[in-house]
Amino acid sequence: MNNYPLSMSAAVNLIALQDRIRRIERPGALRHGVLPFRVEAIDRTLPGGGLALGALHEILGHGADEEDAAAAAGFAAGIAGRLGAGIVLWCLKRGDLYGPGLAGHGLDPARIALVRAKRDADILWALEEGLRTQGVAAIVGEIGRLPMVAGRRLQLAAERSGVTALLLRRWHTGDEAAGERERPSAAVTRWRVAALPSLPAPELDYEPGIGETRWRVQLLRCRGGEPVQWNLEVADASGLVRLSAGLADRPAAPQRLAAEPQVWRAAG
Amino acid sequence: MIAIGGRQLIAAVNPAAAAKGIAAGMPLADALSFLPGLATRPAELAEDAAALRRLAEWCSRYSPWTAPDGQDGIKIEITGSAHLWGGEAELAADLSQRLARQGIAHRLAIADTLGAAWAVARFATAGAMANPCRFAAEAGNIVAPGEAQAALAPLPVAALRLDPALVEGLHRVGLRRIGEIVAMPRAALARRFGPDGLNNTVARRLDQALGELPEPLSPLGETPSRRVRLSLPEPISDPADLARAAERLTADLVTRLAREGMGARRLDLGFHRVDGRVEHISIGTARPSRDPAHLAKLLTGKLDTVDPGLGIEDVILAAFAAEKLAAEQIESPLPRTGALPPSLTGEDWGEGLGPLFDRLGAKLGLDTLVRLEPRASHIPERASVASPVSDSPHPNPLPLAGEGAAPQKPSRPVRLFQPPEPVEAFWVLPDDPPFRFTWRRRIHRVAQADGPERITEEWWRPDGELIDGAGSPDAIRDYYRVEDASGRRFWLFRAGLPGNPPPRWFVHGVFA
Repeated sequence: MNNYPLSMSAAVNLIALQDRIRRIERPGALRHGVLPFRVEAIDRTLPGGGLALGALHEILGHGADEEDAAAAAGFAAGIAGRLGAGIVLWCLKRGDLYGPGLAGHGLDPARIALVRAKRDADILWALEEGLRTQGVAAIVGEIGRLPMVAGRRLQLAAERSGVTALLLRRWHTGDEAAGERERPSAAVTRWRVAALPSLPAPELDYEPGIGETRWRVQLLRCRGGEPVQWNLEVADASGLVRLSAGLADRPAAPQRLAAEPQVWRAAG
Repeated sequence: MIAIGGRQLIAAVNPAAAAKGIAAGMPLADALSFLPGLATRPAELAEDAAALRRLAEWCSRYSPWTAPDGQDGIKIEITGSAHLWGGEAELAADLSQRLARQGIAHRLAIADTLGAAWAVARFATAGAMANPCRFAAEAGNIVAPGEAQAALAPLPVAALRLDPALVEGLHRVGLRRIGEIVAMPRAALARRFGPDGLNNTVARRLDQALGELPEPLSPLGETPSRRVRLSLPEPISDPADLARAAERLTADLVTRLAREGMGARRLDLGFHRVDGRVEHISIGTARPSRDPAHLAKLLTGKLDTVDPGLGIEDVILAAFAAEKLAAEQIESPLPRTGALPPSLTGEDWGEGLGPLFDRLGAKLGLDTLVRLEPRASHIPERASVASPVSDSPHPNPLPLAGEGAAPQKPSRPVRLFQPPEPVEAFWVLPDDPPFRFTWRRRIHRVAQADGPERITEEWWRPDGELIDGAGSPDAIRDYYRVEDASGRRFWLFRAGLPGNPPPRWFVHGVFA
């Protein structure tokens, strides 16, 4: 650059152009604020210091749980339960959502209005209607196929109203999963939540049986951030997660995903 | 023609055939011997009945109480609606003219009672059968109030809606006209025909025709609570015109509902086409409503399902299931003060939620819209009940276990399968969780488990049923939280006690 100094006006133009590109790339992101996870490692990774409100977020299951999206539902409940005043419109195809279980992840079932529909198209329509309504704190949609255009519509509607949209991706066949898993979408972030084996309780405080719920949460895609993963545990029914204090073979430090370049973030 | 018991009978005739002496009920062979050139078609009774029903529905433009009557009649209760047409004669003239335009031969009569109208329509001035259309608007077919007996007296006894066998019985004793029966003392009738049967039927039919016995008309569908109608001078078919008609009627209806302090839960918008068909749009709202803009939007959103055909001449908007709706709920749509989050169990849904539920319900069906209602039950399926959002909140929602107490570990799954999914499991000791199980064709090795938590049927509920019904040993379930080697967690239960037959295992849910 020093060899080819720009004129003043050209420099101004360049900055204006960069701003414009940024706006196009990230329309309205963060306009409605963020919801911090209160886990420093995560919040530091996310632009603005938390999950963008008034935006579309995708949450994927892992392995066989891609069919039930149970871990994803728990993770989503933890987020929706902490989102402001209003109901949570939860749209799904299989009516297998269980209120008492969601309560254990911080979402009061009395706040949920369930919409059951047979087709993805109807769910997308219902979600969009919900995104335009006052009194809705969050929408959660369980969806198989998400066409690019539909995702963009949801993202725009969320941006306009400030309602946060969480999409749980559920695939009932291997073919469906293979076709959708890698498909780009208009969502601001894409997460994958996988169950992790629980840790034995510390010797002093020995309780037999299953320990606390643990997840490996991967942030696969994030505008303005890089793919990264953490091991988290669900401590109680408040909906908050915390870094899992690990054994030697399961470090609590966030781990860079294999295929992603040059990013390493320190433990919180 | 119609085939009965191997014989082919004439079911109906046109005026030309009737003029040649062919009558309904005649064997086809006889008819052909009279008139070798007779053209016949198989009778389509089901089609005829459907057409009659459609016509009865079309007649609802005159009154909501309409119903098909027998195979060839339609009854309409016009009490209280004739004045809308300028009087009974005008109503009859309008009806007759419209029927004639549809090419429907008809005879109509108006009288104090259903029985009298039935008799007059079918039997008065029977000589002019050949061209029934001519009768229609004749003043003679409108029996003035109190004139029923005089109008019926000259008619044959068959006009009393009697069985042919009864008619024959009356003929045998020389009673041919209704006037002769009316004149007879009832006791004499009873002596002649016995205490029940014939006499009772005849007397009852007579009393009905004379208005001494009430005979309510059961209408074709559900009777609406409120109803508004828009008659169009020119048939319309443009979607924009239909939308305007819907909006105007909604405004009219809302005015009426507001005056009465009511709100509608269900609306039906009927478009009466010039060809006699009726196209319907039905909408339901999650709560009683009388917001004109909102209701009109729900209705016009479904206008694309309406086929206007050659044009629509009448639009009728009917409100069903009207309920009391306090005025302030509509006139101050702003949310009440205070920043309490609207909860589904509370009365206050906030500004936008009611209309949202209505839009969702109108498209997907109100029954697809539910909330998860906690109940005090330890049976997992009953602890959370999906109840329609449109229902009023549960009178006494029981708090969730642990609510208000310190937050607990998630001990219930986020997904519950109904019915539970059977698995193939292997276990060692009777009270042990399985060490391995196969679910959805995948083998899971159990790494850790919690349990058992025994859940049996609620002994105070006689109708309690779990998987195999009350009282069976399977009604005892032992639940285990089980974690497999990959860390996924399942809610498994063993149904039944150890022994013979061996207990069975199910996955009831998965944890997050």
